[in-house]
Amino acid sequence: MEEKKVLIVGGGIEGVRTAVKKAEAGANVTIIEKFPTLGAQRIPRDRIITPDNAFENPDLDKVRNNPKVEVMTYSDIKRVTQNDGKVNAKIKKKSIRVDNSKCNDCKACIKVCPVNMYDDFDEGFTFRTAVDYFNSTAGEYNIFKEDMPVCQRTCPVNLDIRTYVGQIADGKALNALETIRDRLPLPGSIGRVCPHPCETACNRQYLDEPISICFLKRYAADVELAQNIEPAYKTPEKKHPEKIAIIGAGPAGLTCAYDLARKGYQHITIFEALPVPGGYLWVGIPEYRLPKKLLKREVDLIAAMGVEIKYNARVGKDITMDQLRKDFDAVFIGAGCHRGLKLQCPGEDDYQGKGIVDCVTFLRKQALGELPKPNGKLIVIGGGNAAIDSARVGWRMGFDEVYILYRRTKKEMPANPWEIDAAEHEGVILQYLAAPVEILGDGNKVTGMKCIKMELGEPDASGRRRPVPMEGSEYTIDAGTIVPALSQGTDLSFLGENSDIAVNRWNTFDVDEETGMTNVPGVFAGGDVVTGADIAIRAVAGGKRAALGIDQYLRSR
Amino acid sequence: MCTGRVDPALVAGAFKKGLDGLLVVGCYFGDCHYISGNFQARAKMDITRKLLKHIGVNEDRLAFRQCSSGEASVFVDIIGKFVDRIHELGPIGGGGDRLKAPEIFEKISTAQAVLGGEKIRWVIGKRTPFLESGNMYGEIFTEHEFNRAIDMIIVEETEVQEILAKLREGAQSVKDLAKALAIPTERIFRYITALKRKDMVALEKVSGRSPIFQITPQEV
Amino acid sequence: MIYEKNKRYIIPFDDVPTGRANMPEISVDERKGNFTEVETGFPEDVALTEAKRCLSCRRCLGCALCWAECKPEAIDFSIPHQEMELSFDEVVITSGQDNAFERISPQLGYGNYADVITDLHFERMLSPTGPTDGLVVSPRDGEVPKKVAIIQGNVKGGDDHLLSSLVLGVNEAILAVNKVDDLAISLISPVCQAFKDRFSGEAAKLKGLTIIEGAPESVERPQEGGALTLTYSQDGGSKKEDFDMVVVLTKPKISPEVAAMAKKLKQDVI
Repeated sequence: MEEKKVLIVGGGIEGVRTAVKKAEAGANVTIIEKFPTLGAQRIPRDRIITPDNAFENPDLDKVRNNPKVEVMTYSDIKRVTQNDGKVNAKIKKKSIRVDNSKCNDCKACIKVCPVNMYDDFDEGFTFRTAVDYFNSTAGEYNIFKEDMPVCQRTCPVNLDIRTYVGQIADGKALNALETIRDRLPLPGSIGRVCPHPCETACNRQYLDEPISICFLKRYAADVELAQNIEPAYKTPEKKHPEKIAIIGAGPAGLTCAYDLARKGYQHITIFEALPVPGGYLWVGIPEYRLPKKLLKREVDLIAAMGVEIKYNARVGKDITMDQLRKDFDAVFIGAGCHRGLKLQCPGEDDYQGKGIVDCVTFLRKQALGELPKPNGKLIVIGGGNAAIDSARVGWRMGFDEVYILYRRTKKEMPANPWEIDAAEHEGVILQYLAAPVEILGDGNKVTGMKCIKMELGEPDASGRRRPVPMEGSEYTIDAGTIVPALSQGTDLSFLGENSDIAVNRWNTFDVDEETGMTNVPGVFAGGDVVTGADIAIRAVAGGKRAALGIDQYLRSR
Repeated sequence: MCTGRVDPALVAGAFKKGLDGLLVVGCYFGDCHYISGNFQARAKMDITRKLLKHIGVNEDRLAFRQCSSGEASVFVDIIGKFVDRIHELGPIGGGGDRLKAPEIFEKISTAQAVLGGEKIRWVIGKRTPFLESGNMYGEIFTEHEFNRAIDMIIVEETEVQEILAKLREGAQSVKDLAKALAIPTERIFRYITALKRKDMVALEKVSGRSPIFQITPQEV
Repeated sequence: MIYEKNKRYIIPFDDVPTGRANMPEISVDERKGNFTEVETGFPEDVALTEAKRCLSCRRCLGCALCWAECKPEAIDFSIPHQEMELSFDEVVITSGQDNAFERISPQLGYGNYADVITDLHFERMLSPTGPTDGLVVSPRDGEVPKKVAIIQGNVKGGDDHLLSSLVLGVNEAILAVNKVDDLAISLISPVCQAFKDRFSGEAAKLKGLTIIEGAPESVERPQEGGALTLTYSQDGGSKKEDFDMVVVLTKPKISPEVAAMAKKLKQDVI
């Protein structure tokens, strides 16, 4: 009979104890510990000690000398999957860069190492150096090397921020732009619209304020524009023959095309339903935040790599999904979330298109110049960035007054705080703790909305306090246009009926974590059709992941 | 002698002896007989100047200038301007510097220990590979990043060398060290525990409520 | 894995602190009725100053000085990372060595005063192999404290952990008193009675410890350089007392990645 294999996660005192127990019972044991050595002595929490017998020591010798126990320190479990009662684990054992069998503990290395950092083993009571031992009892040395700084780790596409910000500091903005473009083909656009999770993570905030990473990216892109430089994106000499179809010329699709072209694919066709590129960047982000001219230029640079963009080509109408899969070796779906969700309140259905227009349609029509002249007041309902964008667009268009209704307070509002401030600054009227009750109309068109005041009650599952209506607090706002800006969903009707591509209950695709492939080989997805409505840079990351996956898939065929 | 061989520790030694200004004049870039000696000289003097500024010496007291051996008038001009500037500053430790004599000389001793130490010498030597071919992991530094690394060593090594210098005068408690040095007590506490980890400092005794630390014999 | 889990050490660079640059914008009047870009971008000098604020975070410089100094040639930068896929019949998930804990109320001064530490810090301090070689000292001034309070940090978060963390607190106190003769330790916890019921024999023998049934409310330092003032509730009233050091008993927390794995495998964390 084969011996039982046991995985112990965590090499603290509990993990070591369990490992010894399991090994003595005859199992083959593997201990995975993310720190460079196994656990330390601990003071017990379940009995009263005597001073001369205070600490419980983990049985390190018993696990080290037991042939049935394998100790893997400084190791991460990258992924676990469960299958037929077996657990498969993908493990990364990181290099400690020191051969401890040769080390004589002379401490010469730690005396000269110029890098100080808090020592985790001693809870930050002392400094360790980059090369040092982790646990003074075990005395095993390791070199600690961060794989990337925190900004880069936080960025969905792992932009090398430290390098490009450094290059800007050195006065080499064009080199910085080159560094950015190594991973991101849309620096000018992303540099304007990104809500920059990197800055939220920036270590400088603990001293004063984070570095303005996003605007520096924009600066690098602007320098190129100001100097009238027209760069040419290079593609390799060696070309691949396969044909790849990409659905949607948004940030995910464009990035996927860019990365594939840089890998030598020369037959890439993007099918774009709209007459313009950029996806949500064009039809969702207003011109005053991202000038179309600039976006167009960045798209043109990608097209110049030999990527064909077919406009007004709606998959499901102008060409079927099945045809695409027949004609192309791989398909990437980056169709985005372009369906605004409904308010679900009385009167909404009666006036759909007669004064009620969801934020996605509102912003798209404005971007494409299809909106009628503004008439009366505008009410936007919601607290996200799309709500703020709709309101600021409405204000620019010339509505008499622009309202934003949000059912919680400013503190809970999901929109970027600087966007909220800008809207207030421009004169948009923000009504917090207010919700729609009924859409009012004269039979032909919207004339206003009945609203109700809310108050915050007990926290709900998300931890935010649930707004509850205050009885008898109804009031009315006159308005000619009402824009619900609640949330956005995918429109996957292009898949056709009886599609074999699996869709989950959020109407998005479940894809492989590493390749971005759907359940159907050769069909990949990324961006908002996988994540749900999310920020542009995460769509870029989805496109990058799929480009890697597509390359792997096609090269291994 | 090539300016590239001017050792930063020698520069600090000169200031310690009371020198008011030091001018290093090297060849033009591209004219170096040893190819990159003047680049090294500039890098070394930049770092030395940075350290002098950090400890409170006016950075203008050290300068690096370039001229060729045929340019007599340029040379005269360089010397004249530098001498004028030093006259303006007056004697070292006077009105021209943030620190005053005699503390300034104590600090310059610390600077000399930092500049003579392995850490900074080694990292200065790594400047060209770091900026051009990369470190041990193949990562290429920007100049800004390299300067940050140097800043880090300057700031921390100065503090550590100050602590070690005080301990060489006699065993002390963390509290006494904090009183004598302008370093926050919490950081001294961590430096001391870190030095203990490196076997450079040891606990001598606990006197009253004060643990007294001494420097280990091999560090004296 | 991330080192420096509690807080990152940032070197006190000379140029710190200076706030970040503001993005220039066109005025509100210029925006009405048109779609001109609002933010006009950083001018060159602003961009350069802003970029120079970057700390260029990096730990190991990759300078190889340690490698050059290592006589037995134990340091080897070429040792590679290894990735592998392994299959197991059984998985046991333990909380590991993270020692993560639930957030402590900011009123208790942890993170604000250097001499307010956690039970985990105190445990390391008491360990003979710890950073102070087992010496009990205040990290604020490096002196041996006279009066230490050990208080419960998360009294509102349920009672399960309170007794076990109080036992840890008592054990730490026993060790500390054993090391410093004239040390006075007060333990303030809402479950003292439960403790005395459970450990009646041992509790009677404890020396140098004052066990107070109560709940800590706040820790403050009214005077710069002075003692810490602890306010705690007792018998329905509020009491104040001065201490040289305060140890906060924490509520252990399972790190998110371990919790996620346990959830995925539908297992408990032991």
